[in-house]
Amino acid sequence: MDYKEEIIDHYKYPRNQGELDDPKITIAEDNSSCGDRVEIYIRLGQNRKIEIVKWQGTGCAISTAAASMLSEKVIGMDKKDLEEFGMDGVIGLLGGEINAGRMKCASLAYRALLRVFS
Amino acid sequence: MLDVKKVREDFPILKRVINGVPLVYLDNAATSQKPRQVINALVDFYENHNANIHRGVHTLAVEATEMVDRAREKIARFVGAKNEEIIFVRNATEGINLVAYAWARRNLQMGDEILVSLMEHHSNLVPWQEIGTEKNANLKVVEVTSEGILDLEDLKRELTEKTKLVAITAVSNVLGTIVPLKEVVKLIKDKAPAALILIDACQAVPHMKVEVSRMGVDFVVFSGHKMLGPTGIGVLWGRKEILSKMQPYLYGGDMISQVKIEKTTFADLPNRFEAGTPDIAGIIGLGVAVDYLNQIGMEQIREHEKELIKYALEKFEQLEKEKLVTLYGPRDPEQRAGVLTFNVNGVHAHDAAQILDKYGIAVRSGQHCGAPIVESLGVAAVVRASFYLYNTLEEIDFLAEKIKEVPKVFKI
Repeated sequence: MDYKEEIIDHYKYPRNQGELDDPKITIAEDNSSCGDRVEIYIRLGQNRKIEIVKWQGTGCAISTAAASMLSEKVIGMDKKDLEEFGMDGVIGLLGGEINAGRMKCASLAYRALLRVFS
Repeated sequence: MLDVKKVREDFPILKRVINGVPLVYLDNAATSQKPRQVINALVDFYENHNANIHRGVHTLAVEATEMVDRAREKIARFVGAKNEEIIFVRNATEGINLVAYAWARRNLQMGDEILVSLMEHHSNLVPWQEIGTEKNANLKVVEVTSEGILDLEDLKRELTEKTKLVAITAVSNVLGTIVPLKEVVKLIKDKAPAALILIDACQAVPHMKVEVSRMGVDFVVFSGHKMLGPTGIGVLWGRKEILSKMQPYLYGGDMISQVKIEKTTFADLPNRFEAGTPDIAGIIGLGVAVDYLNQIGMEQIREHEKELIKYALEKFEQLEKEKLVTLYGPRDPEQRAGVLTFNVNGVHAHDAAQILDKYGIAVRSGQHCGAPIVESLGVAAVVRASFYLYNTLEEIDFLAEKIKEVPKVFKI
């Protein structure tokens, strides 16, 4: 597995990193086997669609890039959209090639996002 | 001197090619590879001797029973124990749980203390948290110094007359620290004479001579798969006086003496703790692994690994000076097993391991089932390269060379 340029770019220059002043929803998710953690702050708009996402956390290139990419991608999505996007969508964002050993890294932020609606 | 070239020929997997390059297997603290002799023993058992043990008079049943008995004798002799003190379990985790359920749960009382160290594997921490909560016993933790050495002063402070169990590792799976067990045991006997002592020897028995009956401890656990044996087989050793007073933990076939509908009496040691059909092939395979280790000699293996870790530490201390890596754990090879723990500066451990995999190098990354000690280092995760008898100085050179490629991927 090679690191795609896009992963490296999002890892080095993460988008939407930080806290939200008045977050309506805060979710934290951990990867117990590697110590990675992501916190996601979200405000939902009309029809419970995601309006703003901010996030922070510690993680590897894959989990960081996934959080950064998702923070752009999920704007405007509701619960159904997010579920339909699925892990296939996340893997697609990451360039389509994630091995089983890194799936937990790739899915960390997505798992947190799903919990926004649960 | 160990003839590493000859040893390597016994391990078929070392011929594997990964991503177009030869495998450099440096994840031995997770599991070791298996020599052909062990693999053949499993095939031979299933092809020629397969039967259940202890319950047949036909030829195959007798053969299988004898093979298991012989393996138990060999394993007992290997660690300096009596045959009946060797209890077969799935792995060290199950051995610790056996002690937790069959001894601690029945003997601990409110206010008693269980003592562990900060560098325990989760398998020697979580069972004690659970039993501690259930029995209202206090779980106390002995600190580790910044060099990754067990803090003996803190051990002295934590030991009290209420200490009923000390559960401690012989060698840290995260840092490779060799715990000075002689001193530790002496301190325990002085300050908490009533305490039983359990040693997690998973990272010791495969790599150095261990004689359980001379250690002054009560229980020792280890896993077969880390010492050239198959997965699914491990050992709990316990002192006979203690084991024979313990109630069984699993009930069923093969652990009974006499069964009536009104009442059952249990078998003698070791069978009373081995309910159900065991991993027969696994036991036989572990016996053959012990033959293999004996043939090489445990002193030789330790010397070889000491040479590897000494060399690796020197190499990596140079890389540390170049600000490429950060090293963790003791720097003295005398106090350190063949476990090199580090991070590539500015790169997460998983990413470093992933990049090394491109060059066929298998290292482990993450928390290594030792979250508390890793977090005490102030990092979320670390990379671990762990050695065994088939590793070479050239492989360490290759690792050190390819470490330099890691930051380049992220343009650091």
